[in-house]
Amino acid sequence: MKEKLKVKSLKFKVFIISFCFSLLTSHFSLLTCEAKVYIDISSPAFKKLPIAIPEFSGPSGKEISNIIRDDLEFTGLFLNIDRSAYIENPSQSFNPRNWSPIGAEAVVKGSVKEERDLIVIVSLYDVFEGKEILKKEYKAGRELIRPLSHTIANDIYKTLTGETGIFRSRIAFVAEDEDGKGIYIMDWDGNRITSIGLKGNIILTPRWSRDGSKLIYSAERNRQWSIYLLDFMSMTERKVFSSKGTNIVGDFLPEGNDFIFSSTKDGNPDLYIMSLKGDNSIRLTSSHSIEVSPTVSPDGQCIAFVSDRGGSAQIYVMRRDGSDVRRITFEGSYNTSPAWSPKGDRIVFSGRWGATNQTFIINPDGTGLTQLTTQGNNEDPSFSPDGRYITFTSDRDGFKGIYIMRANGESQKRITPKNLRAFGPRWSPM
Amino acid sequence: MKKIFVLVLILAFGFILTGCPPRKVVLPEPPKPVVTPEEIKEKAVEVKPEVKPQVRPEVKPEVKITEQPLVKAEPKEVEAPKYIEEKVVFKFEDIHFDFDKYDIRPDAKPTLKTAADWMLKNPAAKILIEGHCCEIGTNEYNLALGDRRAKAAKDYLIALGVTSGRIEMVSYGEERPFCTESKAEECLKKNRRAHFVILKEITNK
Repeated sequence: MKEKLKVKSLKFKVFIISFCFSLLTSHFSLLTCEAKVYIDISSPAFKKLPIAIPEFSGPSGKEISNIIRDDLEFTGLFLNIDRSAYIENPSQSFNPRNWSPIGAEAVVKGSVKEERDLIVIVSLYDVFEGKEILKKEYKAGRELIRPLSHTIANDIYKTLTGETGIFRSRIAFVAEDEDGKGIYIMDWDGNRITSIGLKGNIILTPRWSRDGSKLIYSAERNRQWSIYLLDFMSMTERKVFSSKGTNIVGDFLPEGNDFIFSSTKDGNPDLYIMSLKGDNSIRLTSSHSIEVSPTVSPDGQCIAFVSDRGGSAQIYVMRRDGSDVRRITFEGSYNTSPAWSPKGDRIVFSGRWGATNQTFIINPDGTGLTQLTTQGNNEDPSFSPDGRYITFTSDRDGFKGIYIMRANGESQKRITPKNLRAFGPRWSPM
Repeated sequence: MKKIFVLVLILAFGFILTGCPPRKVVLPEPPKPVVTPEEIKEKAVEVKPEVKPQVRPEVKPEVKITEQPLVKAEPKEVEAPKYIEEKVVFKFEDIHFDFDKYDIRPDAKPTLKTAADWMLKNPAAKILIEGHCCEIGTNEYNLALGDRRAKAAKDYLIALGVTSGRIEMVSYGEERPFCTESKAEECLKKNRRAHFVILKEITNK
């Protein structure tokens, strides 16, 4: 009897466990189908979403709504419906369904009040369903009107695509003025260009730490090449490495405590990893050739770099410990400046093509080579934090400036002004 | 035993209802009662949803936008130069290199011999060899290439008897072109060079 009861109770336990499990799984399936995505941007066959962004009412309403429109338009995911096509009169009461005859599938409405701060109330409507899918109030000082507008664009983007927008990201770069070269920061769209006051006779492309709190870069001052670290929290610069010869930083390691660089401290340009404290240098390569421009994959496991060990400058990939070195570029005789995509599935680089340098993209295994630029010389390419865009230097307009484009090569445009000789851009990680 | 079962069911349904992600709350549609097949089957069990009824969203979360202002950064360490250029004593010619190469060409050897002879006659003199490249290609790679060119010239002088401590090196990559008139090969080839500078030590006053 006791035996039987035990069996029964065991059966019951199994039943309860399996029942709970089925509930749990149904719960998870509920979770996954929850958020409606208006544009599936991961699908190659996605259709641009027609969106209407009427001018916001109130002070600076036009400026704010224009920034939002430009942000969304650059992504190539939205079809902005021209304001001249709107048929709803601003004095009429708003009805999202009124917007379907002009083809809009989403409408952004906003109003601005100016008190001590700018206060913006924004609503996003799904035209088909006639309902509000986002409503938020934003507050910011007048001087932060651009970050304010970019934040609104990020929220709209997130609601419609399910992905995080890059509209508040920034680009660090090097520009030249009468005092020599210096490090600058600007918004991703080329606005609010700011010199941060660090100079050198020569300064090279700065690299961001993965949390965006630091920049590391190489500079030549008084005939000496050293590697410097800028901490945005304290806004101070500190020298982290110097030795006789040429020292050129490549990248932070993902953990943020170490960096990888090329140095001739032992005679040849070889690759080393060192901690930011300046100790524990580990040598990764030892050849008589040039090894330079190392960049670490997002998972921290692989390093892409440039070497001329095969007789010409080519891109190689190896493990983080320096083992398993493989050449990945075979087309052309000069391929340099590799940078990983944030997912680690692509490497963008600059390659010599005929008499000019162009931007190419390739898979880390050496397949899928695609050319993205054709005009002028194009150098120093790197990805945006979401991997959808690339920033690079080009001289196609007759002088060096900073450009952005979609990662498939579309919508190439210069974002720095004509009177600024600018190069070496790197997109912030967030 | 049945009590446990009922308890488990109530907890499980509670989990389904409370576990909805917050996104759902934003949608202005009336909440539908959650009815699952399990609930219908187990009619004996009365399910009391333990969630608050979903209200029509009057969602107006306020977002305050802030930004850390970018103040000017101050470099901590400013290095003082150790040497200045001595311009009057003697002037060596530049030696030139082929594109993307750093081996000493035959036409550079007489210049290097002259430089070595002068160095041996003036044992107190120090020189700086600058490595330069043409503008073709990438800054970082060209800096490494310029370093190789300066090193090749330095090694040649050492082979001719000059002690290595008397030779400083720096690479300027493509940053200090000699010829800037055009982008033609005639001009570019003049920029693939090693340049010699006689140094004078700065003595503290």
